Amino acid sequence: MENTVVKIDNLVKRYGELVALDHFSLEIKEGEIFGLLGPNGSGKTTTINCLLSLLSFDKGNIEIFGRKMTPVSYDIKKDIGIIMQNVVVSEELTVRENIDYFCGLYITDKKLRAQYVDEAIKFVGLEDFTKFYPKKLSGGLLRRLNIACGIAHKPKLIILDEPTVAVDPQSRNKILEGIQELNRSGVTIIYTSHYMEEVEQICTRIAIMDKGRKVAEGTKDELKRMIKNTETISIEVLGLGEDILAEMRALPHVYDVKYDEKMLVVSCSGGKHNLIRALDVLQKHEVGFGRVYSELPTLNEVFLEITGKALRDKED
Amino acid sequence: MFLHNFLYEIKSSLRVRDLIFWLILFPMILGTFFKIAFGDLYEKQTKVSAIPTAIVETEQNDIFRSVVESVSEGDEPLLKAEFLSEDEALKKLGNGEIKGIIYTGDTITLTVAGDGVEQSVLKLFIEQYMTREKVITDTISGDPSKTQAVIAALSEEINTSDEAKLTEGNLDFYIQYFYNLIAMVAMYGSVTGLHVAMGQQANLSELGARKNCSATPKSVGILASLAGTWVVQSICMIICVSFTAFVLKVDYGDRLPFVYIAAVCGGILGVSFGFFIGSVGKMKQGAKVGICMSVSMALCFLSGLMVGNMKPIMAEKAPWFNNINPAALVTDSISALNLYSGYRVFITKVVTMLVISLIFYVLGLLLVRRRKYASL
Repeated sequence: MENTVVKIDNLVKRYGELVALDHFSLEIKEGEIFGLLGPNGSGKTTTINCLLSLLSFDKGNIEIFGRKMTPVSYDIKKDIGIIMQNVVVSEELTVRENIDYFCGLYITDKKLRAQYVDEAIKFVGLEDFTKFYPKKLSGGLLRRLNIACGIAHKPKLIILDEPTVAVDPQSRNKILEGIQELNRSGVTIIYTSHYMEEVEQICTRIAIMDKGRKVAEGTKDELKRMIKNTETISIEVLGLGEDILAEMRALPHVYDVKYDEKMLVVSCSGGKHNLIRALDVLQKHEVGFGRVYSELPTLNEVFLEITGKALRDKED
Repeated sequence: MFLHNFLYEIKSSLRVRDLIFWLILFPMILGTFFKIAFGDLYEKQTKVSAIPTAIVETEQNDIFRSVVESVSEGDEPLLKAEFLSEDEALKKLGNGEIKGIIYTGDTITLTVAGDGVEQSVLKLFIEQYMTREKVITDTISGDPSKTQAVIAALSEEINTSDEAKLTEGNLDFYIQYFYNLIAMVAMYGSVTGLHVAMGQQANLSELGARKNCSATPKSVGILASLAGTWVVQSICMIICVSFTAFVLKVDYGDRLPFVYIAAVCGGILGVSFGFFIGSVGKMKQGAKVGICMSVSMALCFLSGLMVGNMKPIMAEKAPWFNNINPAALVTDSISALNLYSGYRVFITKVVTMLVISLIFYVLGLLLVRRRKYASL
């Protein structure tokens, strides 16, 4: 049976009148890449800060590795790696010194630390930049340095708070691959983001947050099953009459049909072979068609249906 | 973990260019400027012939009269003093027969006609007397038998002859500027102390938040950073004293090791002041640095960095303030080494510095010890 690494129980955090976390609960198992997905201001970073005992909270309980987390739980903290939203490094130290400095906040053995630092540098691919000062690094390399500083001490739990903000696609892919590699080595990951594609790509389980509440939780397939839409068929077609549209609407599992700008969009809920049935209708009426797409729902659609707004609508 | 944090604090601090400039290079530049400006003036002062001066006694001041008489005697008298009525004095000043009129009363004031070395020497003479006046009156009131010795010492100090002094130290007036320079470097240390406080608090810096997530206890992190900062600040203080003493050839008297002690203690006091400011409130770093620098410069101003006779003015208007003004404590502690043969005043000043430092550190630690924050 998988061990519970993080357990958040009924957490309430208020900033004056504003309720930042509203009876928020969560359980994360060992070996998961757990995604916290939500727009800016939904409470993701507040959750992380409470989890790390940086922030006080009004109600609730937090356990990590089965023990109550407090600001002086140094035995728990030594097994946690944190990669913060902004790059937190010392401008006066080189790449290697920065990694060594942060690693030294956890590891006292100098020899072991030197080995860990080398491994972290190799892991993030900064071998050619070890003597560089942060101000000489590009945004992507800085992010990699930030990650190296957070993982060098080989923690069992790594928390990444929006680590790919303002990162170029190449560095982003490198970071995401690195996270998956860490996970394969047995590390439990908590990953917060408002980039649904990233969360969908790497997370084994996801919690969607909005206004300090957890509005849904599950694997990406479980989340997608929570909403009505299971498939969206788009067909490029000219001159469709109302009779054909009526026939489309009458097909099994179809709950919505739109025709606009030469594009027929058929929304389906459940069922199989929906695309074939839609194309059969067009062929029956001898209507020619161009490009055809069949798309499964995205997390954005899940979010849209659950909260009534698109995930990206609230981005800064 | 302590050693790791301590060594990295030193390493990173020594690489901060602003720190190197303001704590090492700027004092060197300013010290060199002082040496050029005041050293030359002082040398001229010792070579000018007796300056014709009128003394107008609006009120009787026996001590000042004795000092004036004393500096008007000998082989190389400083003044050629005449005790005149105000009308006569003004007439002679108008004719150019005298270079200045000194009025004695509640306060001693000087009237000169025009600029020049002699007028500057007269001004220095008055400033020096006012700086020493409290020492003289305190000494005489405590032990009247020392009256003649004190007056003789002051006269010698002003005349710069090689006769008997209260100590073997340097009593030149312009050296006060170098004491203040040391005090300024000590007070600049407040910025490094401020960085320590801010770098440890999760609600004031991201680095603080990051450190608070680590396995290093907060107390260890703070103490290691403070210790590292003390070392860096002490290095800066030692460089400042060494540069002025050995490069600029400023004569700190025969007790130079104690000047180093005073300077290092002053540095610790400066760091503690910044640590306290950094620990109070949630203002942004820029604002706190501004406060630190402004307050430091104000304290240095009040101890005489920019205006030489500011300290006697403060001694007259708010005597208690010089006893708690960190910059004044630094200058007074070094000054005491040259004014007194014993160490009582020096030790008192140094202990006061350390006590105030301790108060700042304790208050700062009480403020940053918080484990969790209501908001970040």
